[in-house]
Amino acid sequence: MRIFDPHVHMTSRTTDDYEAMAAAGVRAVVEPSFWLGQPRTSPGSFADYFDALIGWEPFRAGQFGIRHFATIALNPKEANDPRCREVLELVPRYLDKDAVVAVGEIGYDSMTPQEDEAFAVQLGLAVEYDLPALVHTPHRDKVRGTQRSLDVVRESGIEPGRVAIDHLNEVTVELVRDTGCWLGFSIYPDTKMSPPRMVELLRRYGCERMLVNSAADWGRSDPLLTLRTGEAMLAAGFTEDDVDRVLWRNPVEFYGASGRLDLADAAEVDAAGDASGPTGEFAGNSIKRGGA
Amino acid sequence: MNLRFGYGTNGFANHRLGDALAVLAELGYDGVALTLDHHHLDPYAPGLARRVSGLATRLMELGLSVVVETGARYLLDPRRKHAPTLLHDEREVRLDFLLRAVSIASDLGAEAVSCWSGVRPPSVDPQLAWDRLVDGCARLTEAASKAGVPVGFEPEPGMFVQDLAGWRTLHRALGMPRVFGLTLDIGHCRCLEPEPIPDCIAAAAPYLVNVQIEDMRRGVHEHLEFGEGEIDFPPVLRALSAAGYRGLVGVELPRHSHAALEVARRSLSFLRKAAGQPAAAVKPPAAPGQRRPTGAVPGPEVLRAALACVDDGGWLDEALRRVAADPSVISRLFPAAARRCGRGPVGVPGWTADEAARAVLLATLPAERTGAQVRALYRYGDAAEKRAVLRALPMLPIGASAVELLHDAIRTNDTRLVAAALGPYAVHLDAAAWRQAVLKCVFMEIPLSVVDGLEHRADAELAAMLAGVADERGAAGRRLPADAAALLERLTAEKGI
Repeated sequence: MRIFDPHVHMTSRTTDDYEAMAAAGVRAVVEPSFWLGQPRTSPGSFADYFDALIGWEPFRAGQFGIRHFATIALNPKEANDPRCREVLELVPRYLDKDAVVAVGEIGYDSMTPQEDEAFAVQLGLAVEYDLPALVHTPHRDKVRGTQRSLDVVRESGIEPGRVAIDHLNEVTVELVRDTGCWLGFSIYPDTKMSPPRMVELLRRYGCERMLVNSAADWGRSDPLLTLRTGEAMLAAGFTEDDVDRVLWRNPVEFYGASGRLDLADAAEVDAAGDASGPTGEFAGNSIKRGGA
Repeated sequence: MNLRFGYGTNGFANHRLGDALAVLAELGYDGVALTLDHHHLDPYAPGLARRVSGLATRLMELGLSVVVETGARYLLDPRRKHAPTLLHDEREVRLDFLLRAVSIASDLGAEAVSCWSGVRPPSVDPQLAWDRLVDGCARLTEAASKAGVPVGFEPEPGMFVQDLAGWRTLHRALGMPRVFGLTLDIGHCRCLEPEPIPDCIAAAAPYLVNVQIEDMRRGVHEHLEFGEGEIDFPPVLRALSAAGYRGLVGVELPRHSHAALEVARRSLSFLRKAAGQPAAAVKPPAAPGQRRPTGAVPGPEVLRAALACVDDGGWLDEALRRVAADPSVISRLFPAAARRCGRGPVGVPGWTADEAARAVLLATLPAERTGAQVRALYRYGDAAEKRAVLRALPMLPIGASAVELLHDAIRTNDTRLVAAALGPYAVHLDAAAWRQAVLKCVFMEIPLSVVDGLEHRADAELAAMLAGVADERGAAGRRLPADAAALLERLTAEKGI
């Protein structure tokens, strides 16, 4: 099984996770920029964070043979902090980078006017920089948040096929199903979605435009739930081709719209899912520790 | 002046090629102009691939750069000197030879392939000769472009194309392809060019891929030892330096083989003095596996010529034009370079298309804007952009002012950045920082071959630090990487520590 996790916050994960992910067949990940547990108080913190997403983290991933891409944006929660507003001027600089394959995560947290503005401005940047957009839907007041997100997307003029609405569930899936946007589902141990519930949604709505991610971050989460979902799909009678479509070809198609998804080598994966373990090299080196 | 001097192997006609290379490396030359000939890497003899590969290894061991020359006298026809040329009826024989030379040059990582038109045979009328020359050069250029090796076409007194004006006409007739450059012979300029030599150099600078040098007199095409002709060399060398030329400046004395060693020694000493460089002590013979510092940095024009093999739909040309017109646009063009030009190797050893294109973009900035732009592009660059900035630093008119970028790169734990920080620009690191960086390479298992100038900069203090690491490793039941162990062993033996 080859797996492309379209949404996982590797910055918060250990090398044990990378090792387990590589062994599970994860060959490529997208790490969306988002909030950290601790709120940031200046644009400088964001610059260093963005630098890590296009510098150090891909290097770390590369040690395990995993390709690492990023999405860049000012997230909705911190868009409410006036001290962080200047980040919007910093974002364009990063949207030119090779490994930045979308604008995101953008969207709503508390649906404030400040969030409205950051969301609209950054959808505009997605159009200007010819990038897809990854839209986070809020934890609170989720249905109205999702509806309002779709309205903003529509008003922005961005092509719906270049937008993914993420963190959907049984309640919000139908709002998005017929909009032409991609549908993202985060599989979590307790909250959001679980593998059996995800399989049920795939049975009802099919595999088209469906994206499954672990969204693993600094909270309780599990970067192998993509694999568990694939296994649950097979157990439920889906074919290996269905699994490959959901866990590989769909995210490749969505982020491939950036024109920057360079998967040379990463796509050459044995269908049996035999992972070679942490033997990957980066730039000709195979350094496994950073102790120098 | 940071010129790199080479010597033509046709001036070592009585030496075996391997011996000639060893002698030139010992004398302190940076490279050789290798004339393919029946006794020097015969392209028609069996086992060519194996011999080329062996030679490439040997050049690397000796730290010698190379350009490939195609002016052998009796290689193609034992009876007629230089025949057939691209102008003869049997011109395909010459073209086949030149294409072999391109492919050998590519395998050797040569900086250029040099060739000339030849003398027009009386039986071929000038128009036909011209058509044949343009056709031959076009086919050569196409092959060179694919191989990523710049062509240096040399005007030669007495030949069909004998001066810079003739070269320019040919260049235009070919459509001015970037890969078609110029081999400029300094003596020839004195012999027949209407302008003073420094002016010839300035005018030719954008196209210069190879330079030959020797003394000469006005109107007499005879290659003379330095001091025997009429050329005032310090202004010539200053002009080459001012033109940003970073290729080899190769001594061309093919009629001095009988006294090759002495002539080569005197020539280098003369050139270094004329260039205001210190007269370096003769180096000990380099053993296989050892590499002496080269300080070799390809000039932006070499990289640009090599990029001619990249199909970017004209993106780089347009990008350079835009940066020249408005330097601020580099902030968006610089990150896009890898997507537009690709990341594959180009003909210059150790350079990929993205890094070469980025270096050329930086070199296009006006000098007074370079420092600030370099810092900003590094600050907001991803790892590949940062690497490209680090590697381009020695080519840029910024002196030591960007040394803080090396400190930043060395602070990271990203092997790509640490390695790139230890190139020729690391000469600006103070001894303590440099030693720490070398030691960091050992810890990160970065091959020490990335450290420019390691052989001559490694000192007793570094040896003591390495010995400390070796002790700790020993206590943990682990060993130093082989290259570090070899370095420690050598330093210990040399310095009696």
